[in-house]
Amino acid sequence: MTGGEEPSLDTVRRMTVEQTPAVRAIGVTKRYGVGQTQVDALVELTADFGKGRFTAIMGPSGSGKSTLLHCLAGLDQPTAGQVWVGDVELSRLPEKQLTHLRRDRIGFVFQAFNLVPTLTAYENITLPLDLAGRTPDREWLRTVIDTIGLTDRLKHKPSELSGGQQQRVACARALASRPEVVFADEPTGNLDSQSSADVLGFLHRSVREFGQTVVMVTHDPTAASYADRVLFLADGRLRSELLDPTAETVLDTMKSLDPAVAG
Amino acid sequence: MLKIALRSVLAHRLRFVLCTVAVVLGIAFVGGAMVFTDTLSTALKKQYAGSTADITITPVDPVEARTGPPATLAAAVVGQVAAVPGVADADAQLLVSDVQIRKPDGTPIDTYGLPTYGAGWPHAVRTSPFRLLDGKQPWGTAELGLDESTASKAGYSIGDQVRIVTATQPVTATLTAITTAAQAGPAAGAPLVTFDPATAQLVLLGKPGWTSIAVALKPGADTDQVRAAIAKTVGDAFKVRTAAQVEADGESALDTTFGGFSSILLMFAGLALFVGAFLIVNTFAMQVAQRSRELAMLRAIGASRGQVIGTVLAEAVVIGLIGSTLGLLLGIGVAAGITFGYEELGAAIPSAGLQITPATIIACYVIGALLTVGAAYPAARRAGRLPPMAALRDGATIPERSLLVRLLAGAFLLLMALVLYLIGDYASGMPGAVLIGLSSAMALLGIVMTSPLVSRYVVRGLMAPFGHKAPVTLGRRNAERNPRRTSATASALMISVALISGLVVIGASAKASIDANVAAAIGTSDLVVSSSDPDTFSPQVADRIRQVSGIAGVHQVRQQDGKAGDLPVKVTGVGDGTLSGPITVGLDSGSLDGLATGQAVVPRTMAKSLHVSAGQSITLTTTTGKHSLTVAGILTPNRQLNAVVISLATYEKLGGAPADSLLYVDVAEGTSTAQASTAILDGLKDYPSIQVRDQQAYAAQARGPVDAVTTVIGMLLALAILIAILGIVNTLALGVVERTREIGLLRAIGMDRPQLRRMLRVESIAVTLLGALLGLAVGVLTAAAIQNVLVDDGLSELDIPVLQLLGAVLVSGVIGVLAAVWPSRRAARLNVLQAIATE
Repeated sequence: MTGGEEPSLDTVRRMTVEQTPAVRAIGVTKRYGVGQTQVDALVELTADFGKGRFTAIMGPSGSGKSTLLHCLAGLDQPTAGQVWVGDVELSRLPEKQLTHLRRDRIGFVFQAFNLVPTLTAYENITLPLDLAGRTPDREWLRTVIDTIGLTDRLKHKPSELSGGQQQRVACARALASRPEVVFADEPTGNLDSQSSADVLGFLHRSVREFGQTVVMVTHDPTAASYADRVLFLADGRLRSELLDPTAETVLDTMKSLDPAVAG
Repeated sequence: MLKIALRSVLAHRLRFVLCTVAVVLGIAFVGGAMVFTDTLSTALKKQYAGSTADITITPVDPVEARTGPPATLAAAVVGQVAAVPGVADADAQLLVSDVQIRKPDGTPIDTYGLPTYGAGWPHAVRTSPFRLLDGKQPWGTAELGLDESTASKAGYSIGDQVRIVTATQPVTATLTAITTAAQAGPAAGAPLVTFDPATAQLVLLGKPGWTSIAVALKPGADTDQVRAAIAKTVGDAFKVRTAAQVEADGESALDTTFGGFSSILLMFAGLALFVGAFLIVNTFAMQVAQRSRELAMLRAIGASRGQVIGTVLAEAVVIGLIGSTLGLLLGIGVAAGITFGYEELGAAIPSAGLQITPATIIACYVIGALLTVGAAYPAARRAGRLPPMAALRDGATIPERSLLVRLLAGAFLLLMALVLYLIGDYASGMPGAVLIGLSSAMALLGIVMTSPLVSRYVVRGLMAPFGHKAPVTLGRRNAERNPRRTSATASALMISVALISGLVVIGASAKASIDANVAAAIGTSDLVVSSSDPDTFSPQVADRIRQVSGIAGVHQVRQQDGKAGDLPVKVTGVGDGTLSGPITVGLDSGSLDGLATGQAVVPRTMAKSLHVSAGQSITLTTTTGKHSLTVAGILTPNRQLNAVVISLATYEKLGGAPADSLLYVDVAEGTSTAQASTAILDGLKDYPSIQVRDQQAYAAQARGPVDAVTTVIGMLLALAILIAILGIVNTLALGVVERTREIGLLRAIGMDRPQLRRMLRVESIAVTLLGALLGLAVGVLTAAAIQNVLVDDGLSELDIPVLQLLGAVLVSGVIGVLAAVWPSRRAARLNVLQAIATE
């Protein structure tokens, strides 16, 4: 289920959407601390994330990949530069608008602790919609829920679900409001390989079949291979880019960037 | 381990501060009560150490602890005592309370409820309780003396005309003597008016007699031998005490008076500590849950179970010690405030420095430390049970003990409460009320224990009207998610609310009962004449009112304390026709006819306690001794006449003083009550303490004390509520800390700050309403049950002030909103990214 099975369709979509990216980072710098303790997590990084594309961001720890994701998602403010989600520039938005942007136009999947323990799986999925006071699109919801394959567990609390099931519910929640982009931060970091495959397969399908945009941070070459494109970061800078990756090509690129990475 | 505990305290200032505040408030009451008591008793010791007579002889009062005219002894006894070998001088003294001194403008001097005394000028200087400071000894009815403090406060100097009112008559006389206040005995420090001995008997008592004999011994005479000799001479009817004995008796008597105040303080200390304990239990339970990984890590690296328990308890000890220290200081402040207040008001307490005894300090620290350690112990024990493996697992939790044991114990308590209630209901009267009080205490504990089970459903029901928007649902679920914590937090509030609502209902019922009883009892009379401070007044008042035009009749009512069998009772003397006119009474059995022939009627409750029925006889003890009276009839409960009722003639025969306590006045047709009232007052200008009221006003006056009591208790209970609110703030704030990650997640996926605040507000309101409504239910039911058993004791009406209670629920909702303010501010300020990243 790696990308590139239907090259013609993929090419067409890429051509139509890349003119207006879903998310853009323009000269984004993120600096922590001052003086001697000053650390640049991101250095004037510029990147586009196309609509209807599944992009993976990779890099060794400390490379700034999570920081980039947080800046793109409006969870963190860049020290300099601009972040656009669609036609909105995030760095100037007040806190409230930023929150509402996250709620209405962005979906999230975190590595762990994605679900509110007091709510059932279904309530968790519709939570962003409920917070916005919007009525869910029932048909869309059913489609999403059918795709994650947890129709019979919707009334369960998160504590009654396995880790993989929890992450799939989190994915469904991220998609429930048909966001412009879904950000996933190491979504398979805590999962076994079968559950990882389920979750990644779901994210992949959401791009392929529903035309969603997904940006995922990962350190796992196999996970990255589900993406259309992989960006490699090191020391806060964009180092390399790989289209239609496989686990092998990803690993090779990683090795070339950092000899210390073992196979 | 201590180091870890100290670090933990410092790292979590918030929960530390809240726990400490709870301890401080409780201990402040304990410390305040103890310091005040010690200070007072030291002051009293000082006062009695000044006793001047070597031996004091007083008549044995057949009726103990009564108000009204004192028991007296005859002049003949003085002679007998003087003849005893070893006696140098026997001086008959007269000391009577119930005197009112007026300021030059005619209003009474301020005594703040403390008695004012009148005394006869002593013959012997050595045993005199007071000294002449200025002027000369008063002589005759036209001259009197005043103590220095009273004279200067009222603005009198020698030569001024001073007006006083005694139980028997008003007196205007020239001030000729300025004296010290009494140096010892009951009148020490109190306002004192003095006359020459003969005049004192006339003016103060209205009859001859002395209240005590002060004996001075010959040099070299043995006090105990002389005391024994005097006791043998005068017989059983007199108490013969040495100075040391007088001192001891006086102390214990005044200890009883002010001891009541201390025990109220101690009661509230108990309540405050009890409510505070809930807060501490919760805090430590949450703290251990939060630190479970850290504690398990300690276990993993080799700490023993005991050491882990030790770290948690050590933190409790630190909190207990700091809380006790601050509480003790606050308590000393409170005691100083009370003492200062008393000194400012009456000057009746001779001042002594604040007494902070080692016992007080030890008690405060022991109670404070025991309370916190005891309240923290369940959490500490749970911490000890943490398996070391918990350090390695994510989200490790300590296995919760099953709620079953708790539920069974709670159910048992509720059952016991029901049984006690039924017994109490059957018993009726005061013992019944006590049983019902116990029953409700058990019910409260039972609810505390079972509430984790029911809290979920109650919360769900209560919060239904708030809708199902996401923040509301989340807040409600948060309140439901840890039933133990929610119910413990709510329980603290429940107990306070139960006490307050019970008090409110009983207070309202008492007022309603007084109104109803006054309405039922006042019968045909239009006006009620009474007096306050002194409570009784001269029969001249009745005579004068009879002269006022437009007055159809005056009914005199006299009252004194007595004992029926061993039961302390009021003895009321009524005139002919009073019971068929101004006071309407119902009879269970017998008739009122016997009154005229010296028989008595008694109220139903008294008859029950004494096991008598109409036709049988009771033994009535008055100042003149024991008298046998036949019961002519049994009265249905009547607040106006909860006394042994006899005719005025019998009353006088039994030694009652010639002073009225109430007059019922019938106004003639064609005269309005307002006109009559004005006319009466015009004729009684020299009796400024006399009050003339119509029925409503009289009822309002009778309600006054109820209002005062409920206000004071209510204010103190408000403090318990304050602690309960601190508990809610604490639980919410700790919940925010505990759920930091969840809040981060919610914020990340789009919950804005108002929604976050709303979520916490809903949780807070849910907990508050849970506590308030359960408390309200228990309080109202208990009050209703108590009223039910006290129907015959004057609490005839049940009045549930619905509006006031609804207001209380509303207020608790507002409290819930306020309690959430600070925790939600903290939550809203959380950095989303950092929150998600927290462990």
